[in-house]
Amino acid sequence: MTPDEILGQLKQKFGDAIGETEVREVEVRLTTTSEHAREVCRLLHELGFEYLNCLSGADWVTHLEVVYDLSSLRHPNKAHVRVKVNREDPLVRTVSDLWRAADWHERECYDMFGIRFDRHPDHRRILLSEDWVGYPLRKDYADERMVPYTEYGMEEKIAKSEAAKGAAKAPAAPPPKPAAS
Amino acid sequence: MEKAQVPVPIGTTVTVERLGETMEEMYVNMGPQHPSTHGVLRLLLKLDGEVITDCIPYLGYLHRCHEKIGENRSYPQIVPYTDRLDYLASMSMNFGYVLAVERLMGQKIPERAEHMRVILGELQRIASHLLWLGTFGLDLGNFTIFIYCFREREMILDLFEAVSGQRLNYSFYRIGGMAMDFPDGWVADCRAFLKWFKPRIPEYDALVTDNILFRKRLQGVGVLDPESSVNYGLSGPMLRGAGIKWDLRRNDPYSIYDRFEFDIPVFDSCDVWARFLVRRQEMIESVKIIEQALDRLPAGEVLAKMPKTIKPPAGQIYARTESPRGELGFYLISDGSPKPYRYKVRSPAFCSLSAVHEMMKGCLVADAVAILGSVDIVLGEIDR
Repeated sequence: MTPDEILGQLKQKFGDAIGETEVREVEVRLTTTSEHAREVCRLLHELGFEYLNCLSGADWVTHLEVVYDLSSLRHPNKAHVRVKVNREDPLVRTVSDLWRAADWHERECYDMFGIRFDRHPDHRRILLSEDWVGYPLRKDYADERMVPYTEYGMEEKIAKSEAAKGAAKAPAAPPPKPAAS
Repeated sequence: MEKAQVPVPIGTTVTVERLGETMEEMYVNMGPQHPSTHGVLRLLLKLDGEVITDCIPYLGYLHRCHEKIGENRSYPQIVPYTDRLDYLASMSMNFGYVLAVERLMGQKIPERAEHMRVILGELQRIASHLLWLGTFGLDLGNFTIFIYCFREREMILDLFEAVSGQRLNYSFYRIGGMAMDFPDGWVADCRAFLKWFKPRIPEYDALVTDNILFRKRLQGVGVLDPESSVNYGLSGPMLRGAGIKWDLRRNDPYSIYDRFEFDIPVFDSCDVWARFLVRRQEMIESVKIIEQALDRLPAGEVLAKMPKTIKPPAGQIYARTESPRGELGFYLISDGSPKPYRYKVRSPAFCSLSAVHEMMKGCLVADAVAILGSVDIVLGEIDR
């Protein structure tokens, strides 16, 4: 089965529910809505994608996203399904009954992004403690202990410009005397 | 979300009816501080007498916000963080990460660097399997094999130290190639090690593989059928121990693995014994790959010309490699800036651990250690 045939079958069944599509070598990439996510996954499962490589989330500020990476042990095709989820009440139907690998991945996704998975058998946080407040991988999560990223060479530039300002105001301190040996 | 269900407190017993008699089920904690969990992992075992009826893993004791840190660092800055994922196979972790970034950029790397990557990656696989075999023996009460394995692993660490100056966290792979070339005489040292290492496998066989006590502890324990193995997303030696011939080096070749001749060991008894045999055989196959790569090692540059600031074009990639523990995936979203927008690690041991409760059901408490050992977990990459 070629990636185009897979895409054709999906489009035939779901029509407008399939958003942007792209075929990159053996990989089918598509987006869909959260209502159809499970049905799309089920069809892909029936088409031989019996292996769930990765299930992850992403925060696009305007909305959240669940990303499924699927592959098969029988044919070389891969699938990359992205599901838009609304940010206020993120809810997707679980796929842990299709792939049990999704069980822990979905728990992690809930842990980090706060996306809830409907009918998940064991809906708890997994890596963080039960009483943790907030969802750390959301872009608006704030914690004063986080070290922000600075551009390469930025620190030196700031130090130099500040040194130049200091030099204009007051002469630089004399170099320390060498210690008596 | 509603408050999570907290299981019955430790030490309490639950009365159950079975065969018309009243029995007591008991919850016992294994870990977080337990020598056989190879890190900080807590397993809550539900016991009916000596039989395990359920097992609930609790993880996260080693969580270090790896993915959040990744979002706040530039692409080259993440390489040293990947070392700390699976600290027993840092080279393989570096390999997976740089490969993902290079694919995102469409970057070609020099031939010599490709060969160096394969050589170091396979040496790392041997080192990782040796450590696994040693500690697995230790878990099962065979202390001798531990000493033997560490002797050989030490030699590999010496080779790595000569290359990178580090013994555990190498950070030797760079986006676009390798940090530097092999030092003078390293190739000869590596060949000498392989010559020394090959006759050691029969030595291990005499100690463990042919040891009837060792066999009896492993055979028929921790069985998980092939369909469930795929469904749980197991990979690497776990999948090959379930009779499925699946190796990303052969089935989805990356780097230059399609140029080497090697076999994929498969054993189909689906138990701890099969996984043991797969890893034992893999060490021999890795030696074959290293020898071929050393023979063909071309001269030339080891680092491609790279821009000072690495800015991959906007896009998404899921790149997977075969680490000693199985399928290691890196999922990256780039928005064209010098740091990743989203950085996710698909850890092989995370998926394997999620199937542990299936393997443990119906086994004896004494086998729990053997089953957990056969999964080959490293909490650094599970908890991230």
